[in-house]
Amino acid sequence: MDSLTWGVVVVAVLLGVAWYLSYSAARLDRLHTRAEGALSALDAQLVRRAEATLELANSGAVDPASALMLAGAASESLEAHNERALEDDLLDGQSFGAREVLESDLTEALQAALTAEVVADLRAEGTDALGASALQRVEAAGVRVQLARRFLNDAVTDVRRVRRKPVVRLFRLAGHADLPRTVEFDDELPPAVRD
Amino acid sequence: MRIGIVCPYSFDVPGGVQFHVRDLAEHFLGQGHHASVLAPADEDTPLPGYVESVGRAVPVRYNGSVARLNFGPLTAARVGRWLEAGDFDVLHIHEPVTPSISLLALWSAEGPVVATFHTSNLRSRAMQAAYPLLRPSLEKINGRIAVSEDARRTVTTHLGGDAVVIPNGVNVARFADAVPAERWTGTDTTPTIAFLGRIDEPRKGLPVLAAAMPAVLAKHPGARVLVAGPGDVEAARERLDPAVAAATEFLGMVSDEDKAALLSSVDLYVAPHTGGESFGIVLVEAMSAGAPVVASNLPAFVRVLDGGQAGCTFANEDSADLARHLVRLLGDRTERERLGDAGHRRAWVFDWSVVAEDVMAVYDTVTHGTDELRAEASVDTRWTRLLRGRRGGED
Repeated sequence: MDSLTWGVVVVAVLLGVAWYLSYSAARLDRLHTRAEGALSALDAQLVRRAEATLELANSGAVDPASALMLAGAASESLEAHNERALEDDLLDGQSFGAREVLESDLTEALQAALTAEVVADLRAEGTDALGASALQRVEAAGVRVQLARRFLNDAVTDVRRVRRKPVVRLFRLAGHADLPRTVEFDDELPPAVRD
Repeated sequence: MRIGIVCPYSFDVPGGVQFHVRDLAEHFLGQGHHASVLAPADEDTPLPGYVESVGRAVPVRYNGSVARLNFGPLTAARVGRWLEAGDFDVLHIHEPVTPSISLLALWSAEGPVVATFHTSNLRSRAMQAAYPLLRPSLEKINGRIAVSEDARRTVTTHLGGDAVVIPNGVNVARFADAVPAERWTGTDTTPTIAFLGRIDEPRKGLPVLAAAMPAVLAKHPGARVLVAGPGDVEAARERLDPAVAAATEFLGMVSDEDKAALLSSVDLYVAPHTGGESFGIVLVEAMSAGAPVVASNLPAFVRVLDGGQAGCTFANEDSADLARHLVRLLGDRTERERLGDAGHRRAWVFDWSVVAEDVMAVYDTVTHGTDELRAEASVDTRWTRLLRGRRGGED
């Protein structure tokens, strides 16, 4: 082969490698964006759930002891959210911190307070009543928390799988973005609410 | 919300996925959302206004039955145009791993994507061979929905990750309000049994029912079997025992209204499917109409029937067991009424009003904050950064 052919081959290979690298980088970036979006969706739904719980506690439709317990758990969740507000670049040194524990606590409080009888009483008031509409919002936000957490963990699994690839590691295609972690906490809705 | 729905199967023929897509789109339109459906269809097939045809589909054998699918560069271009013109907030793709417009739409999708998996038997060989190619596209899916636990298990084993289970919806009222037709209504001496599904597709189970019928006719000589579904009637009739053939009436393909009327008229509905069913929407339709259900004990069917409380199940492919249950139920009007009532109550769990709300919750979750993220991503992706960096080096 003469030097011209060799030159063409080398250029073609280099172009191929460059294309593959930029393609891999774009793919990883898309995955990072997806994980970021899912994390911010989870954050937003958790805030909504806590706010709806506070409304329910203050509606006067549940007994004072339950109200205090719900308000306590909900305000701790909101406080943690405000303290560690997720910033623009969510994958930049952010994690879910200790919030998993607080969110599990709120889930537990809801399960304890919203027994079958309480839910039936609240719903008997009709949908216009303060307590019933707050309950509806707690349920809607609770369902979306479950969805958001599952979608986030799916995205995180995909990101981690792609970041394990040799080409991504060798060429540091992930840049400075932290490796995202799955978020695990109890988000089960009280059984009486889901029926 | 602007919703784009992609259905891989042709609207020329009826099918579970097509009905699911149609009902979902109509439900969201009724709520005041914008919904557009992209699906294959022949040019002369009348389509509702919200469905856009991607052209004629080619029949291909895929996933155990003949599916009519679209592919090729021309189709890909049409899909791209639809996506661009639609400017959707969320793109909802059905059966994303079929070689069809669903995969093409996923390929060119840029915004939030929701995917619904209907099937419980992905063809693993095809999947494995094409996996490295499919993977990057599948990574674009923000939220995965499975229509049943079986479909979800398929997703987890073949694709990894998880999916949320949102069952198929049924318009319960449409079946509950159907007026029974006299020609299909049975009497104590001539009870009627309904079968729905393709008659030349063995896994729909017509042979199982046919083999059970001689024993049933021995006890209930006046019993009639009403078979509704497409397929070659003459060939099917020839396969039947002469006595069974005489008791069987082939109705061909029936309209939606006739199907509802049929189900609300008959004394029993039989679902002898032998496999490949991940949900069993026709069971819910029969239950909505108040027809007592006798179904094979496929896991999906048992779940729809609430563990066998909302209908009767028999050992799959066991015609003798099916015959025993049919004989018993045809002779017991009270038990039939009890099963019909239990089924009807159970059916409301699968009503679209409940199901579509769950789907909307998924849309809400995946579209959260995408406007800002999308704007950001289009301005400054790592890809453009990389390109810029490289160009900067050359300068």
